[in-house]
Amino acid sequence: MKELLITALLLTSCETSNYAPPVTPALTRPTSRTKQNVDLKRGRTLFVHRCIECHTLPAIWKYSDEDWSKIVNSMSHRASLKPAEREAVIAYILAVRKQE
Amino acid sequence: MSKRALSILLLACRAVAFGVGGSIIATNAFAGVRHFTFLYEAPTSPPGSVEMENALTWGRTTNPERSDQIDFRHEFEFGVTDKFQASVYVADWSYSRDAKHDRFTYSDTAVELIYNLTNPIVDPVGLSIYQEYKAGRRFFEWESKLIAHKNLGRWILAYNGTLEAVWQGEGLNEREGELQQALGASYEISPRCSVGLEFLHEFIFPDWHDNERIRNVFVGPNVSYRRGSWFVTMTALAQATDTPDERDFQLRTIFGIGF
Repeated sequence: MKELLITALLLTSCETSNYAPPVTPALTRPTSRTKQNVDLKRGRTLFVHRCIECHTLPAIWKYSDEDWSKIVNSMSHRASLKPAEREAVIAYILAVRKQE
Repeated sequence: MSKRALSILLLACRAVAFGVGGSIIATNAFAGVRHFTFLYEAPTSPPGSVEMENALTWGRTTNPERSDQIDFRHEFEFGVTDKFQASVYVADWSYSRDAKHDRFTYSDTAVELIYNLTNPIVDPVGLSIYQEYKAGRRFFEWESKLIAHKNLGRWILAYNGTLEAVWQGEGLNEREGELQQALGASYEISPRCSVGLEFLHEFIFPDWHDNERIRNVFVGPNVSYRRGSWFVTMTALAQATDTPDERDFQLRTIFGIGF
């Protein structure tokens, strides 16, 4: 039972990092790091809250930078994203993709 | 609860419901998709979103006599903050038919509140707490729920633990309690379509006693389809136990549309 629980916890944490990696200093540019860090964190929060209202999260590497911008733009109304929130989500996704 | 308090609650629910109806004209956002019909998921609706959900449940009972009932629910759901949503069931009503009767019945009006605690992606488990108050003619219900939810790739796993207390009849003297566990799994076969399973385990306590040891188990498949600002989700449940006066089969469909 204990092993099963540990395996389940490990599995869940693996999935988490795969689908929405946390915002680390490596994701941000050295210039304007603080503001960008805040925006990326907000982008991640919105990404993991709003998108799963309707569907599971696709892997970030699955689509190109261009595709991601189009996808987020097309779904922003349904996800009730304001323009600044939409930009924050796109910025987060593109920052993660750049690091990959 | 006194009759006066009950009628005030009913009036308040109806007033909120009519207010909701009016505000829909002024808003334009989508609340979210249901992957299950007998279970809730942890994420709450985005702030400012409004959605209308209509639920239809057909149930057939054969033990001891055959009867059919169709339950209707008309609900408006609002995203209030990033972590809090409120809903109003404008009306729960039903059509029932058996060998002797054939009738429509208004059941209740309700308010439902959900607060999200943790996220199913970034936290080990997504958790939400749920509270619902229902009031009707000679009827009052209190329902509390703990909602657990986890996304694993294309899988959505959900668990609901529910405690229900019902007061009904003349002077609200008849009491009943219910403890329910529900488990659900849903797999997204495409961004628009999911299929899954739902499992319910009920413990009924008439007059808050367990003398009759009433236990019900229901299990069955579900399917969900979404497109644009609408979705439809359907679950068919069969009773795996053999409890008299309980539905042997039920089919629930929820149709939701955002404004």
